[in-house]
Amino acid sequence: MEFLKRKKKPSFEGGGLVLFRDVQDAMKAEKALKGAGYEVKLVAPPPTLRKGCDLAVEVNLVEQPGIERALKEKDADYVSVVPLGTGSLELLRVVKVTDFGKWVMVKAGNMKLTFDKESGIIVNTSGGGCPDIPHLHAELIDKGLTETPHPRDIGFTLCALMLDRAFEESLALWQEER
Amino acid sequence: MLIAGTVPIKSLPLITGEVRADGGYLVVDGYRIPCTQGTAAMVSAALAATNYLNIEPPQALIAGDIGQGEGSRAIYEYLIQNVSRLSPDVLVLHYCLPIITLMRRLCESVERCARKPIMIADASSMYAAKAAGLASRFDIFTPDAAEMAFLADPDATHPAYIARHLFDADIAQTPNLVAAAYQHKNAARLLLVKGTVDYVVSNESIVATISEPNVPELEAIGGTGDTITGLVSALVHAELELHEAAIIAAKSNRMAGKFAQATPATRVWQIIEQIPSVFKEYLCEWSGVCCVKGGYGDD
Repeated sequence: MEFLKRKKKPSFEGGGLVLFRDVQDAMKAEKALKGAGYEVKLVAPPPTLRKGCDLAVEVNLVEQPGIERALKEKDADYVSVVPLGTGSLELLRVVKVTDFGKWVMVKAGNMKLTFDKESGIIVNTSGGGCPDIPHLHAELIDKGLTETPHPRDIGFTLCALMLDRAFEESLALWQEER
Repeated sequence: MLIAGTVPIKSLPLITGEVRADGGYLVVDGYRIPCTQGTAAMVSAALAATNYLNIEPPQALIAGDIGQGEGSRAIYEYLIQNVSRLSPDVLVLHYCLPIITLMRRLCESVERCARKPIMIADASSMYAAKAAGLASRFDIFTPDAAEMAFLADPDATHPAYIARHLFDADIAQTPNLVAAAYQHKNAARLLLVKGTVDYVVSNESIVATISEPNVPELEAIGGTGDTITGLVSALVHAELELHEAAIIAAKSNRMAGKFAQATPATRVWQIIEQIPSVFKEYLCEWSGVCCVKGGYGDD
């Protein structure tokens, strides 16, 4: 019979967990995120990641900044967002700076931002591969470091978060020179 | 050749069709798309190459997405349903939100193709393939140095969460990262690692390194990694061996940067517009293909 042949719906694999202090917070967050259009799933966190309650929300880790913004907008309390698995739990914090004379390139993780030393105008962003990166490229180019919105406020993915690190470092470098 | 990826135009629906250039724009299915960083730069570079080689231009599958995933999901679902029917010789996956379950379903659909396409992934499609444990199903990945560290880290699901000691690795450590990526089955059959020195790795062996011309400014220019992927895709579509295509793509991109007299403020379209001149001067020397005539569009 046809219904017996129906394929099992693929289970969601997001690679990230939102951790909470209590079960009510987790359930509120799940509802808020689903309402915002995110694919999420209530799960039990592994023992090593328990922060208080036995319920977490599995999310697509790459969407971390958008998810954190949605939770804050809905006043949904959470402890942290962490990757599942045995790898690094910390976002990469290494920043490298390259001096091109008239311009400076700041690299954070896989993202780079280059600005004009004199004017503070962003002349290029590069690296990354998430769909908000070309959007951020278009939003940031030709704007001053003090005039443009911060990448983490208009981006949705981990690439945007790394670009925000490069942006913050660039802003600090430029303001030090003023 | 079918190139699939998103562009940062939120209102753009899922579109598909043959690509053509019109000034600084790509035209697909009647829609005009500016040539900027990302899938548009990649398609533009591929189109510049196919136009020069006088072969069939790329087909594109494009949707608008600014990071919220709607366009990415539409692309995945369309490919899952239609890749067997479309049966491209080369399938290039580019800027799409990494969604592991959809990447798995897409790879299952590709396995059902009567003729398996040459599979190329860059950007977040490469992240999804690695995170899903499907890297070895792909023929070519084109990571930059940070992304190579990501492929080498067996536990990372995104380059933002790689182990610091891997990220700190100098480009000279690329061979070690490559070996780790293959050991954990997180590499495609061929890797073109883009960096100060470009590495071409075929079946776990480094077959070429390219470091000239040295144009360090290219790293700052958004889209210059995308153009390499577009070039290698077009050259594979032109039936070059994968490693030959990768070597010529890397050389061509560097030379296009030199021809454009690139600065960190140069835009990617200024690099792309140099590709025909680079091919005209060097393609014969680099490939042995010295006469391009006839082909696509001829009666």
